[in-house]
Amino acid sequence: MNEEPLTYETAVRRLEEIIKALDSEQVGLRETLDLTAEGKRLIEFAAGELEAVGKGLEELRLDDLIERLEAAGREPGS
Amino acid sequence: MNVPLPGLEPAGIEGYPGPFAVGRYAQELRDRLRRFAKVCLIGEAVNVSVPARGANVWFELRDADGALPCAMWRNEYERAGVELRDGMQVVVAGGCDYYPGGAKASPSFAFRVKELRPAGEGDLLARLERLRRKLAEEGLFEPQKRLPRPALPKRIGVVTAEQGAAKHDFLAALERRGWRGTIVWGYAPVQDRRAAPAIATALRDLAAVGDVEVIVVTRGGGSIADLWAFCDEALCRTVALLPVPVIAAVGHEVDRTLIDDVAAVSCSTPTHAAAEAVRVHCDDARAELRERARRLDRCARAAVLNRARALRLLAREPRHHVDRHARHLHQLARELRAASRRGVRDRTRHLAAPERAATLERLARRIAERRAQALATQAARLRALDPDRTLERGYALAVGPGGEVLSTVEALHRAGRFELRVSDGATPVRVEDSRP
Repeated sequence: MNEEPLTYETAVRRLEEIIKALDSEQVGLRETLDLTAEGKRLIEFAAGELEAVGKGLEELRLDDLIERLEAAGREPGS
Repeated sequence: MNVPLPGLEPAGIEGYPGPFAVGRYAQELRDRLRRFAKVCLIGEAVNVSVPARGANVWFELRDADGALPCAMWRNEYERAGVELRDGMQVVVAGGCDYYPGGAKASPSFAFRVKELRPAGEGDLLARLERLRRKLAEEGLFEPQKRLPRPALPKRIGVVTAEQGAAKHDFLAALERRGWRGTIVWGYAPVQDRRAAPAIATALRDLAAVGDVEVIVVTRGGGSIADLWAFCDEALCRTVALLPVPVIAAVGHEVDRTLIDDVAAVSCSTPTHAAAEAVRVHCDDARAELRERARRLDRCARAAVLNRARALRLLAREPRHHVDRHARHLHQLARELRAASRRGVRDRTRHLAAPERAATLERLARRIAERRAQALATQAARLRALDPDRTLERGYALAVGPGGEVLSTVEALHRAGRFELRVSDGATPVRVEDSRP
């Protein structure tokens, strides 16, 4: 796997590669076990990403965010 | 304009002509300004003032690079038949004018508008084209397109009108895609002279404090004049250099504003923008991920089971191999024993009387020869020990009268007479000198 940062799409792309490699039955047993472990980690990551956008829509106002930040900036010791 | 005050010659300032009366100077200025060429100008009307009473209608004509105060006689304004509003793109015809004021009236400069019409699509499109070329030549269409854009952002910024239909279309499209993350709304006007700077500010703030992964700028359709805010040069420069990818969905498919060129992605509708902002259909993706997990499990199990079967087969193979060889060896051993028995029997049969006698004779002869050789060897050894062999080499042997060997001088003197034997015989010998 190359060093590009892990995102949902890179995880899914790598997962497809792993399944394709395992399907081909051209990999050794040790590599099979390693790929399976990597695939499971990727599935967990992708599932986490999907879960993060599946809990419920949250709507924020930019004005409120700015106000909150400004208020935090005004607090003594902040 | 070099007109000094009559009857007075007040002191001036070294290096400058005058002093002159200001009113006459102002009137001369007005005359000169009025001689400037009459031209057409295009820009956005702002601060429009159409007083209920008064001879003039006032407004400013602006674009990104500058502005002019404009004045239009009321009767000419009414004849133009245009209801001037803030934010309207207009073409005006006229020339420079200057009101010199007076003792109690303030002076003012204005572009005296003689004719007025809303800017047509052609006017605006020509301006848009010029701007488009300018930004393209500066390479400002590219930076946004080079930004990485996540397929599944968790937090999306949206700049739109709070009450617009675009907001609802966008939300509905996200819901259909099964996306229920966080939206940060940066509400801004989307159609008047305040729109472009407000949108630019919202974009900058979203990028700075909104912690968003992608920003959507959207509004519904309209004329090019309605969408003109999205062709604002300053806004488009802001978008081009923003570190967060911007998806523009302004107007409909036929409307192409400048923000469409500088943004990372240009969409025709808010619905299309939602699909670009969240490129993963979340509900489908969840089902696909479950299927991928099953496939991975299946593949892994199959890979292990297939190898286990192969190993089991391989594990049986050595035993079969050894058994096969054992059987073979056993067979060979049996054949060997049988062959040995046959061989002994045959040899016994073949060693019959005459041959056996010949063999015995050969053996006896060989034994006799070996013994003869041994005797010859011993004879040679004996010969080597014979004293006569020594006498042949020049030695002599003294033998007393009793036949004893005299080996010392004393023994010779004591004997007095003795026999001296050499290789070919013996001779008597007498000792004459008795001294030992």
